[in-house]
Parts: sequence; structure tokens; C-alpha cells
Amino acid sequence: MNKSAYHLTGVKKFYNRHTSVDIEDLLIPQSSITGLVGPNGSGKSTLLNMLAFIDRPSEGTILFKDHKAEPFSDTVRFRVSLLAQEPYLLKRSVYENIVYGLKLRGGDSSLYPKQINEALALVGLSPREFSNRPWYGLSGGESQRVALAARLVLKPEVLLLDEPTASVDADSAGRIMDCALMASKEWGTTLVIASHDWKWLHEICGNVLQMFKGKIVGNGMENIIFGPWKLGESGLYREKTLEDGQIVKVPEPPSSESAAVILQSFITLSSHEPALKHDEHALKGVIAQISLEPAINAIMVSIRTGNQTFTLRIPQEKARETALFPGQSVYIAYPLSAVTWY
Amino acid sequence: MNYIIDGLFQAIQLLIHGDGETYSAVYATIRVSAYSMTVSLLIGIPAGFLMGHHDFLWKKQIRTITDTMMSLPTVLVGLLVYAFLTNRGPLGEYGLLFSLEGIAIGQAILALPIVIALTASAIESMDEKLRVTLVSLGASRRQVLFSTLWEARYGILAASMNAFGRVLTEVGIAMMVGGNIKWHTRTITTAIALETNKGEFVTGVALGLVLMAIAFIVNFSLSFLRNRS
Repeated sequence: MNKSAYHLTGVKKFYNRHTSVDIEDLLIPQSSITGLVGPNGSGKSTLLNMLAFIDRPSEGTILFKDHKAEPFSDTVRFRVSLLAQEPYLLKRSVYENIVYGLKLRGGDSSLYPKQINEALALVGLSPREFSNRPWYGLSGGESQRVALAARLVLKPEVLLLDEPTASVDADSAGRIMDCALMASKEWGTTLVIASHDWKWLHEICGNVLQMFKGKIVGNGMENIIFGPWKLGESGLYREKTLEDGQIVKVPEPPSSESAAVILQSFITLSSHEPALKHDEHALKGVIAQISLEPAINAIMVSIRTGNQTFTLRIPQEKARETALFPGQSVYIAYPLSAVTWY
Repeated sequence: MNYIIDGLFQAIQLLIHGDGETYSAVYATIRVSAYSMTVSLLIGIPAGFLMGHHDFLWKKQIRTITDTMMSLPTVLVGLLVYAFLTNRGPLGEYGLLFSLEGIAIGQAILALPIVIALTASAIESMDEKLRVTLVSLGASRRQVLFSTLWEARYGILAASMNAFGRVLTEVGIAMMVGGNIKWHTRTITTAIALETNKGEFVTGVALGLVLMAIAFIVNFSLSFLRNRS
């Protein structure tokens, strides 16, 4: 059985009486790659900060490799590292930025130049060109790469990446992704990655967690539809009108501002208008994107309906039979009983 | 206009010919500035760090008082320090009145709020991401503190230069607490005030230029160090 890197129990984090994170139980196995997806403000960064032991939870416990750990404790200080979305570089040269963590750990200082050159080469920056550059002489993508090099040089047991590719160019994004995977493969580093790039996450992660309002609501394949909801004409259902005039029907929500969650497994896809059962509802849309999930031989299909995107996963075989293509008009149907609320 | 140009030449002559009285005033000025800056930096930087980095009860009120004290009138500080150091005062037994140490106490009181308030501002302006970065690279609490101070070094340097400028050019404390005693507590500023009163404008201008030269040397050295770092 795979040992756990983290075990979170009853973890809550409050900011000004607002619950940012509320996780009952979560296990993250050692050497695994875990993805976090969710809208802005869903608690991904707060969770990563707690996993990095930068912030402590307001309630609950976080076990790191079966031991209770606190910020600044020696059990985690040199073993976990976080790369933030917009990294902060110290007001020093690139070399000094990367060597900072090594100096904190001590060790043979004569090896520093070699280690730093290797780390810079890993992130695709020429040591000769970049080593002596000041912090202000770097572009956004280069800064992010230097920040990643400063983490990789430490060979951390856990590397937490918060939207690592959100604000960088495509070349830097590709390099950052490759380096993260290299750390996982070569050193067995446990990776936890928060990203909006669900396609990439589903491609590389063994486990993807969908976060919403601080809670883990599923595996990233949930479709979230935000309120407000108004009473439908029949008075039996609530509804929301999309940009293209179509109506999303849902059962009675806990409040008019609640968010409806529809698991992708409950959604059926067809190229013609489906015959609906009594509690089903259908929407017409256009296939916006099709991508492959090689790990599970499945195809992910994004369907645009008005201003709402639905994502569903279908087996490769079925995708071949139905001959889906981007731009194709399709229908999606879901049973109202499948709607859950957050 | 001529007396300004004459002053420039006389300043050079005073320094080249090693005028004892001038050197005594320069020496006294450098000594009291060094004493007062050492004390105000030793107390002010940690206090400013605490104020900028931590939240505590009455922080806003203390900050407002500190900011207000940045514009303390030097004569008021001189008066209060005089009252404390005079024979009848609570610290009279230490014999600090009309001494360079006495002036340094007053100047430290003048410089301290500047160092605290500007250091606190420099620390407050540091990005929250700095702490996240330092902790995520493995820094301990103490290392976070020192690295944060180092990252805020330009702000702290600006605070120190600001305080030094105030200390170097003040005249009220030096006059009231020091007594402007020749060869003993006469600083450049009190000497300028005396020379002006005597109508010796040229000597006053010459001493003023010496004061400017000291300020320039100190600022230039700090700028040089800043650029090197």
C-alpha cells in the first residue's frame, strides 16, 4: 500500500469568519501527482499554503508522513517547497536567489556552483547568461523559471505548484510542466498542482480534486453552474437563463445563490435531440474542445452552451463510434435528480 | 554674492591650514552624530521591524504618535532634555548637561521616530510573497526576520539617511543641551549660528560648506555601498 505524504483531518481555515477551506478527510499518497481545480476563490491557494506549512489550519490536523507538523518545524522545513503563481525573487542575483535555500540547508558550498548550473539548465536557462543577472533583469517567464530552479535545486520531497503556468509564455509553461514531471519521475517528488488547465492536469495527475467554496466536491469532472436561480413557470423547478436564451433547469436549491453541481457521469451526449424521461432536461450546444486522456483511454469533450461550458468524459470506443468533432452541434441531457448543491 | 564665494575659499583654507577651532567643531559634530545615529539605529530598526511586521494592540495609535514625532521641534527636544539633565532634573547626577553625550541623547530622541516610522513603512511595503518565498525555501523564523530586513535594506538605508540629515543639521538641541562651548561642545551648526550673530558671514558660510561636505561624503559612501549590493 502506498504511504501517505499528507493526511488531512477536519481541516478548516477561516479568514474574517469566512470559511476558506473545509476538508473532512484527505489523503495524498507519497510520490503521487495530485491536481487541484476550481474557480478563483475556491480555496486552492489557501490549501496549498497549509500543505506548505506556511499557514496553519484554524481547525483540524495535517499529518505529514504520519507525523503532525507545524510551520517552521524541522520535520517539514527542508522537505516541502511551494512555488507561488507570481513568485517573489529576492533582491539579489539569479545565483543568489537559487543558492539561498542551499545555504539554509548547509552542506558543501564548493558544490553550489555545479548544483545551480544544473538547476538553471533544467529550467532551460543558460547558466552563463543568467547566473549573474539581477532580479530586475528578468522577464515574467524567466522569473518563474528561476523561482522553480530555486526549488528544484533543493530536490524537495513535496513540491506544491500554485498556478505555475498561469502568467507565463507558452515556452516557459512547457518547460515548467516538464520539470515538474521530471522531479516526480527522477526523485519521486510528491506533486500537488493547482491549475486552471484541467486538460493538462487530467493528462498527468493520478488524482484531480475539484474544489469549490473551500470544499473538495469531486474529481474535477464536475460541472458547476452558478446562481442566481429563479422560480420556473411551472413553479416546480428553478431555472437560469443562459446567454443564448436556453434555460438550465434544476430542482429546489438551498438558496437562490447556491451553485449547482452536475457530475459528468450523469450527462449523456447525443448528436440528435434526445427523447427525455420525465425528470430529465436537455440543452443544445457546440463541441468546443476534444482532448485525449491517455491514462484511462478516454476522451474529454467540452461543450459550449451559451456562456456555460459542460465537460464530460467518454470512452475512446464510443467517441470513435459517434465521430465527434469540434464545432459539431450536440445535445446534452441530465436528470434533475443528479444535481447536487454547494 | 561675494561673501558666498569668499566663504567657499575660506572653507578650503580653514580645512587646508588645519584651523583648530574648525576641526574641533567638525570633530564634535561627527562624534555626536555617530553616537546618536548608533543608538537610534540599534533601537529604531528592531522597533520599526516589529511595528511593520506584527499586529498588536494599540498599533495604529502608536504608529500615529511615532509619525507625529517625526516632526518634533528640535528646541522642544532640547528643552525637555535640558530639563532632565540639569542639576535639578532626574538625570542631573550624571553630569551630562553641556556635554557631547548630552547632545547625542537629544539627537537620538530626534532621530528615533524617523528611523522607526520609515523602517516600519519599508517593512510594511514588503510583499507578503516574500514571507511565503522565504518559508517555502526553508527559512526559520530568525532567518525570515534577517532576510526580510535585508530585502528592505534600501528602505532602511533611506530611513537612516533621513535621520542622519536631521541630526547633522539640527541646532536647537546642540545649542540648548551643549551650550555651544568652544573646544568642547561647539558643533558646526552652533558655530554657524554664533558666527552669523557676530556678523562673520564668511566664516558661517565656510562652516556651512564643511557641513555640506560631510553630508555629501556620508551620502555618497552609502549610495556607493547601495549600488555595489
